[in-house]
Amino acid sequence: MGWESRQRGGLYYTRSRKENGRVVREYIGSGVLGQIAALEDEHERRQREEQAAYWKEEQQDLDALEGSVVELSEASDLLVRAVLLTSGYRQHNRGEWRLRREPKERQ
Amino acid sequence: MNPKNANSAAKNNESTAELIEDKKKFMALIDRAQDGDEEALPALRKVLDEEPRIARVVDLARDVERSIVKRMSGDDVFAQEAIPRNLKTMRREIAGENPSPIERLLAERITVCWLELQYFQAIYAQNLDKLTITQSDYHQRRIDKAHRRYLSSIKALAQIRKMGPAVQINIAEKQINTAG
Repeated sequence: MGWESRQRGGLYYTRSRKENGRVVREYIGSGVLGQIAALEDEHERRQREEQAAYWKEEQQDLDALEGSVVELSEASDLLVRAVLLTSGYRQHNRGEWRLRREPKERQ
Repeated sequence: MNPKNANSAAKNNESTAELIEDKKKFMALIDRAQDGDEEALPALRKVLDEEPRIARVVDLARDVERSIVKRMSGDDVFAQEAIPRNLKTMRREIAGENPSPIERLLAERITVCWLELQYFQAIYAQNLDKLTITQSDYHQRRIDKAHRRYLSSIKALAQIRKMGPAVQINIAEKQINTAG
């Protein structure tokens, strides 16, 4: 997208877009027509940039929030494990929790 | 940075470092107990009794909850009032009558995880027509993860309840400093 200079003089505004995987260049015009198209494109580009910046900020906020829920989940999982272990349970092969067998007393 | 801010930042870094170190020690103790080290059990009991660990995690849960409610309600004062009330009722229903400290904590966690899931789903629904395929996919993955966390939180409480009262009364009641 942009202004192209012509051999015979003057500037010509063009737009490029992809069609079926190929880049197609559209010739808009020179003078006022080209300037209007250039302004429109500039406006759209700014809008896209603003949208992208907003999206990025939003994602960062959501990531931080998600991080604190993960932290909460991990901390409570640790406490659950500690409580189960001190209550006489043992995790079998990192799966089911079973009551630990007391060692038999020697006779 | 002025000296006051620098001091505060240094203090924050120090306390974060302390928390990380403390968590590492706690995890190491749990791992030792899990591996059958009998000496680790009294040490683990001592740590659970002496330090208000559960209360600290409950505080964290409340902070996260406040932060989500704030984002969800924005300037809507009715929502600011109504959402915490609903959450309080939900927490009480989940915790049941005379919950042990660990049950209370897990009820807090379930409530927070439920709220997180609702929030992510609401954001996704509100922006559905504006999202690109990549962004939509990103949101969907976030919702899936929140859903898994929610289910895990329910499972943890079910596990504790399945073990019976012996587990539930294991931790001193003094560790909880928040009610309802």
